[in-house]
Amino acid sequence: MNTLASHPDRIATSLFGQILTSLVAAIFLCVPVLCLAEAATVIRATELKQAPASDAASAGELAANARVDALERQGGWTRVKAAGGAEGWVRMLALRYDGAGAAKQGDSGIAQALNVARTGTSGAQVTTGVRGLDAEQLANAKPNTAELKKLERYTASKNAAAEFAERGHLHAQQVSYP
Amino acid sequence: MPQRLTLLACFALATASAQAQFNLRNLDINKLVDTAKNTAKATTEIGEQEEIGIGRDVAARLLGASPLMANDGVQRYVNHVGRWLASQTERPDLPWQFGVLEAPQLNAFATPGGNVFITRGLLERTKNEAELAGVLAHEMAHVLRKHHLKAIQKGAQTALAGEALQQALTNRGGANANREKLISLGSEVFARGLDKGDELEADRLGVAIAARGGYDAYGLPAVLQTLQAMNPQDSGLALMFKTHPAPAERLDALEKLQGLLDAYAAQPQLAERFAASARARR
Repeated sequence: MNTLASHPDRIATSLFGQILTSLVAAIFLCVPVLCLAEAATVIRATELKQAPASDAASAGELAANARVDALERQGGWTRVKAAGGAEGWVRMLALRYDGAGAAKQGDSGIAQALNVARTGTSGAQVTTGVRGLDAEQLANAKPNTAELKKLERYTASKNAAAEFAERGHLHAQQVSYP
Repeated sequence: MPQRLTLLACFALATASAQAQFNLRNLDINKLVDTAKNTAKATTEIGEQEEIGIGRDVAARLLGASPLMANDGVQRYVNHVGRWLASQTERPDLPWQFGVLEAPQLNAFATPGGNVFITRGLLERTKNEAELAGVLAHEMAHVLRKHHLKAIQKGAQTALAGEALQQALTNRGGANANREKLISLGSEVFARGLDKGDELEADRLGVAIAARGGYDAYGLPAVLQTLQAMNPQDSGLALMFKTHPAPAERLDALEKLQGLLDAYAAQPQLAERFAASARARR
């Protein structure tokens, strides 16, 4: 009697739940994948290189506005797979992404949900007053001196920062402002 | 004898009146000097202590809109990266402090005097320490070039004049409505945005500062490319896209720095240290 068939609304709910679950799973599973192979366009005619260097051998030519999948970045170069199947490296700054990460659903609460899903923040934490920083919140904000005090507590000394840099094998360089 | 007294009295009177006249003149001159000083204040320099004070008050407002992310390890890590970069700039001795705001939106902010913030939302989209350094360095450039301070000053010239501006800047005395107004101007800059030229300048300087710190100079362009790949309708991007030139335009501008970028492209990105430190669980 208490079967799903006699409760079409429950079927709908459970179907919706399943879709939602798959959607959430898709978000978690696909985001890193998307980062690795994102649809992009080259902004001008450019040579495809066999290695990430300007003196590397050619791996073909790409016409302006050619469609590619961007695979990985190394320095100023991005490895791409062209529509015809050719693979090689192009200047990172010659690529513009499609902005298709969120499939252009518009700002329906899905983008918001995506944000929450990606950041791993539970609903409970979101409702503790941190809805984030929009123009209205900035305009109406009251000073929070307790947080300002906290900020001071985290500062690093010049010396501590220099040791930190050394541990990361970071070497200071003389670079003029362009 | 009485004649002499009269003479003396006359002399005394004359002296007194001359003195009074001189005092009056003196007062006028002082007042003129004050007015001139106030006008100069409004149009030229604000002292470093005043700059720091204004920056702290604007930072307190920002923290009123979003508190700090509750993770000591992440906060300290970001402060080490930022403080190291600050040492490579022309203002190494400002009281630099860095904070990760709890907000899920993607954004970063600077307030005058050396306060730099990145949101948790943006931190989670950065892939390595070089990218984080690029974002912090962009914000530090705003501090170095006093972009916000100048914007606040410009607003103050129309909203607060002469004595009121002076009062707001020095912030002497208790409750000070003029100070409130001045600090509100600071928050408004965040909602309205800086000039496009300021943002593009901060990108150029940011790339150079990250390279000075020994990081892969492509960190900032990589973050811009991440932003460019996102759906511009994403609610987490609304304020940043409203207050900054489009990422594609910023990338176009950075293409002119190809030589500089390539010269420092092989420096460390520190993806592993970043993953271990910035992604620490609370």
